[in-house]
Amino acid sequence: MRIGNYFLAEVGKSATLPAGWAGMAVALLGSLAITVLNAFAVRHAAVDGTPEMVAGTSAFEAGFAAMPIVGVVAAVVIGVTTIGSEYTADRAESGGARQITASLAAAPHRLSMFSAKALVVICFIVVAAAVAIPGNIALSQAIIGDVGTETVSTADAVGRSLGTTLYWVLMGLLAFSITALARSGVVPLIVLIANGSVVSFSLLLTLVTPLAHWLPDMAGRQLFGFPSELVVEGGLAPVPGAIVMAGWTVVMLVVSGIVFHRRDA
Amino acid sequence: MGPTMRSLVLAELSKLRSLPEAAIAAVATVLLGSTIAAALAANDRNAYAGPVDAVLASVPFVQLGIILLGILSAAHEYAGGQIHTSLAAAPNRMRFLAAKSAAVALVVSFVSTLTVGAGLMVAAITRPSQSAMAASGGAVPSMLVGAVLYLALIGLLAFAVAILVRHLAPALVVMLVLVLIASPLVGAASEHARWLPDRAGGLLYLPDTDAVLSVATGAAVLLGWVVATWAAAAATFAARDA
Repeated sequence: MRIGNYFLAEVGKSATLPAGWAGMAVALLGSLAITVLNAFAVRHAAVDGTPEMVAGTSAFEAGFAAMPIVGVVAAVVIGVTTIGSEYTADRAESGGARQITASLAAAPHRLSMFSAKALVVICFIVVAAAVAIPGNIALSQAIIGDVGTETVSTADAVGRSLGTTLYWVLMGLLAFSITALARSGVVPLIVLIANGSVVSFSLLLTLVTPLAHWLPDMAGRQLFGFPSELVVEGGLAPVPGAIVMAGWTVVMLVVSGIVFHRRDA
Repeated sequence: MGPTMRSLVLAELSKLRSLPEAAIAAVATVLLGSTIAAALAANDRNAYAGPVDAVLASVPFVQLGIILLGILSAAHEYAGGQIHTSLAAAPNRMRFLAAKSAAVALVVSFVSTLTVGAGLMVAAITRPSQSAMAASGGAVPSMLVGAVLYLALIGLLAFAVAILVRHLAPALVVMLVLVLIASPLVGAASEHARWLPDRAGGLLYLPDTDAVLSVATGAAVLLGWVVATWAAAAATFAARDA
């Protein structure tokens, strides 16, 4: 049961990191605030008879709006802190050591440890998604109630929620692999959070070359399933996009796993 | 009789100059800004009519580098135990923080000016020759000064946040979420988003107009954010154990 023990140890480490919880709290409370703002705007527009003031009166869309952006931040923070924390140096007067040396002394099989960490990233993100996505949609429905017009079918809603969860997981694993390669969270935090927003390097690259639609974050973005008139046109359909993004993730995980296995800690 | 203010500022500048991460962040910011401005200016889809527009459109990306620079300037003191040495050498905390803030203000202003200047130069070079220099698409060169001012203030805000939270990663996440995530999401849902630092300060370099804020009051709102955050940072820095 070696893998099981590795996994439990990593769960314990990640669950006791304040940074991970802070990221999670920001994501949950942030999306909550956005959903409340959105849902009340939709409700007022519907009650006042001015639905043209908002994009639509669907409770699902109002609750879902924050998910792509805020959730991606949470996923990136979880992915980065899970491995980045191992490389943070302690204070100089207490030796300036990094946790990774103690971790590897206690758990010397590196690939098991790396896989256990990746598994922890997946579990934490799935839990965050399972709380945040249905929670925000339920909150939005509670605020908007019957005054809005639901335009999204249940099947679509489930599909988009699952697609969004998949996007978060892949994004978290990408952040995890980049942090493992760089042994620092600065670059993945900046690049991946920026790419999840409107100030996106990938989006900028699509102006230069259409090949940029094959970058992981651009390839997977149709997983959110927003109506086509609301998003930047072009790019891959949801399923091929998900496959391309998953391909990137697997390649990055394999590369960073090999590097983690072979290089001096 | 402690060290003079001048020597304190010089000491802080010397620390920043010899910090490899800060130097890398500064160089990367200039390169990033120039590359993006050049790419936007060379883009034949004509969304960016002149070199000035291309430089202004690169500012949202450049601010990421400036934010990192501002945070590194504060967070490196806490990455090891350097803050103890620093405070042993300069025991008056308010003077120390004032000198550090002045040094950071100088550095972020310098890097912002350099980035905007370099961006303007490469944008002017890479712009397709058929579009006339005069066609600058409504952006006036004075907005470039606004862009520098905006970048410098955002860098100081990042510095103040980092002094407040004392760690690099949380400060980075707070600033990135504030500037990149909160602003568009709140902006889509509520008109009060205009009071957010990047929205109010954005009036300095964006062609947008706002119903409530002007360029000057927008800049004042951003300055207010900087001053308020800095005051909170100074109060905690003076009060708590280093």
